[in-house]
Amino acid sequence: MIVQRLIEKAMKKAQGAQASLGQSESTNVSFENDKLKSVKSSQSTGMSVKVILDGNVGSSQTTEIDDVDGVVARALEAAAFGSPAHFEFPGPQEAPDVAVYDDAVLPVTKEEMVGIGEEMMGLVKEYNTDILLNARVGKSVSGGEFANSAGTEFSAETTSFSVGVGGQWIRGTDILWAGHGFGWKKREVDHVTIAKKTVKLFKMAENLAPIDSGVMPVIFSPEGMNVLLLALQLGFDGKNVFLGSSPLAGKLGEKIADERFFIADNPLIDYAGSSGRRDGEGIPHQVTPLIEGGVIENFLYDLDTAGRAGAKSTGNGVGCHPTNLVIKEGETPYEEMVKNTKEGLLVHDVLGLGQGNPISGEFSVNVQLGYKIHNGEIVGRVKDVMLAGNTYEALKNISAIGDKAEWAGGSLLTPPIQIAKLSVVAK
Amino acid sequence: MRERIEKALRKSDAEYTEIRIESVSSSSAHFRGEELDNIGSSKTLGGIVRTLVKGGWGYATFNDLSNLEIRVKEACESAKLVGKGESKLAEVEPVVDEITATLEKDFRNVSLSEKKSVIEEYNKIILHYDDKIETSTVGYNDSFRKVWYGNSEGTYIEDERPDVGVMLSATAREGDNVQRGFESVAGGAGFQIIEGLQEKAVAAARRAVDLLSAPPVTGGQYTVIINPKLSGVFAHEAFGHLSESDFVYENERMKELMVLGKRIGSDMVNIIDDGNILGLRGTHKYDDEGVKTRKNYLIKDGILAGRLHSRETAAKMGEEPTGNARAISYRHQPIVRMTNTYIDKGNASFEDMIKDVNLGLYAIDMVGGQTSMEMFTFSAAYGYMIREGEIAELVRDVVLTGNVFETLMHIDMVGDTVEFPPAGGGCGKGGQAPLPVGFGGPCVRIQNVVVGGR
Repeated sequence: MIVQRLIEKAMKKAQGAQASLGQSESTNVSFENDKLKSVKSSQSTGMSVKVILDGNVGSSQTTEIDDVDGVVARALEAAAFGSPAHFEFPGPQEAPDVAVYDDAVLPVTKEEMVGIGEEMMGLVKEYNTDILLNARVGKSVSGGEFANSAGTEFSAETTSFSVGVGGQWIRGTDILWAGHGFGWKKREVDHVTIAKKTVKLFKMAENLAPIDSGVMPVIFSPEGMNVLLLALQLGFDGKNVFLGSSPLAGKLGEKIADERFFIADNPLIDYAGSSGRRDGEGIPHQVTPLIEGGVIENFLYDLDTAGRAGAKSTGNGVGCHPTNLVIKEGETPYEEMVKNTKEGLLVHDVLGLGQGNPISGEFSVNVQLGYKIHNGEIVGRVKDVMLAGNTYEALKNISAIGDKAEWAGGSLLTPPIQIAKLSVVAK
Repeated sequence: MRERIEKALRKSDAEYTEIRIESVSSSSAHFRGEELDNIGSSKTLGGIVRTLVKGGWGYATFNDLSNLEIRVKEACESAKLVGKGESKLAEVEPVVDEITATLEKDFRNVSLSEKKSVIEEYNKIILHYDDKIETSTVGYNDSFRKVWYGNSEGTYIEDERPDVGVMLSATAREGDNVQRGFESVAGGAGFQIIEGLQEKAVAAARRAVDLLSAPPVTGGQYTVIINPKLSGVFAHEAFGHLSESDFVYENERMKELMVLGKRIGSDMVNIIDDGNILGLRGTHKYDDEGVKTRKNYLIKDGILAGRLHSRETAAKMGEEPTGNARAISYRHQPIVRMTNTYIDKGNASFEDMIKDVNLGLYAIDMVGGQTSMEMFTFSAAYGYMIREGEIAELVRDVVLTGNVFETLMHIDMVGDTVEFPPAGGGCGKGGQAPLPVGFGGPCVRIQNVVVGGR
């Protein structure tokens, strides 16, 4: 294996080394403006080396897999004045099983992928021929090798398959965008359901519903939940916690959310977008509860940050980022949540997320696709509306949690959640 | 390389074929708080083949350059599967050219340890500015990209594209209140542009601390004055994306909305995209289809005057190609993108703009922006309320939003000095981000802007 050669080479000078190699082949079919636009095939390779030299870390990457000498030399050069290492490379450990490879992905032909796209577009056109459509179908097969100087060594293969359809509906100067997609590591993706979801999003938006500025209850659909989750992704990042830039620093064990709120990092769900047996540092993956009953349980760590913080790696390396986030279901059926709302908003997609000071929890976004709820019914789409609030205040102010979780993209599984009061500014 | 590319091009049976190979050497170093967080370098070599058959595109991207002919064949097969119509590409004169970057201080000759020590100083300045500074992020990135481009019409270009930048971020904290101050400098230039930025480090730290005691802006509609750094982002987000012809060329409704000659803004609004301005991040002699870049008026005196094209969109709309087909890397096909976008100068002084504003907002510097064509948002790093014609208190969490067709009509004063701040950052579209782009403009006053907030 190439990774072994990299390790051997590096260990002539270094006291520790880690190497990885990745290769992938992918195919993407793309439809634009109602028709097939392009078919793309991509082949990629890459390898990376990380070394510890006299207590300091250096790293280097390359796409040229013949350049074993060069990539090792550059990693050693960087380590000569690199960042201090707060970890040792981990020895071999058992990793839990999780399915990330599906034999059914590789044999899918370009023609089949074109067929899936055409069928999805047909379903949306059946609803409304005025919507100008785009669609995409993609697949990939990847393989990787990993080794370190402490004897950890493994290889892994993964597949992925994704589809999506969306469009633009222009009436006068009003431009409406809506769409839906899904991708994970399995061939089995129900593209008909996805097209129907796109139709549903357009149908609900047929009418424009004026809304008054004010404070009102807001339901976040599973896709819309990203508005609230961005701050948590940054806030639970162990490095931000250690450095004190996370407002959650020092609050382990404190109650920061409604007691019905549970969220966990879970890389062990079969075929989910960010699933795998181990992280990028060879640490076995685990399920890490972040908030349980509103109380902070854990933060996410990689090896180096865990070393600095006196914690243990949670298998979120490198970078302390979450894998798949899972929010626990509540008790309120979605329909009931809408029915119980006299005057409010349903948020599905926003513009401008993360532009301000997201780590503080503050958000101030334009509602790109959102609906007005009036007397318990969705009456139409809202426009020129800003939604503002703070994730941490909102999580204490949950009025209902949906009883059914859905995938939003391939790495977030969440029910819809209603916040009792958020500020809405309309023109 | 030229021989290899031309030999592979000859194997194509498509109507049009191009091959772009890129090699990129880059290095980076980041401090987070007191300690160096990472340091390293990377080398990338890869390419893309793009073929056109009966109006359908086939692409093949690869890192393995050992057999270009196979990639050409693969792209041809894909294009044949797609093509069912007619191929249209605007005519351009084939060129053979070689562009060499001349850098005052070539960052490839600067050692990693020197790169580290330059940002280490900035990092110390931030951390020692005040007790309320909790932590910092200070990063250095450079990349030197060499592009070999050849197409089946005889164009062959070798281009060198350097890019270097530093970002300085200070985080201040008081209890749960966490605020950030941010500065960045980047350009297609040498190492010298990121030296001597001590004052910027101080500015980032000072802002983070000052924002701790600034209230969030109260949401509502205001008269807003945006500063040059923000007016460039406004030109880019609020309007620039609408002028990208791939959103228009096969969209009959959009064509009606965007008919050239239509009034789209008030008289004093002039918006320009120009890929030729020396030293800016969106500047290149040729785009990624081998078309020369140029100065394109998008809005002239409030009237829709032009738009940005690839060779395909230009041909399909019967307009001239503008040199705006850009790709972020060899992993991607070129799509219609902006280069350096700016609002042209008007004749108002800042005093003129502010003196009759009873209650308004002076919004300063950018954090980011996003558009859905008609609606846009962009965020200022900070702002000051304007009360009775005077600058008043500092406010934070300033996000502006609006409808492009209304907002451009609501511009009622344009400042008399255009600036092109050398800031970092980039643009995202179609999964290709961040593409280096330039921004610029004068101060601009806009009536009735919706400002988000509580």
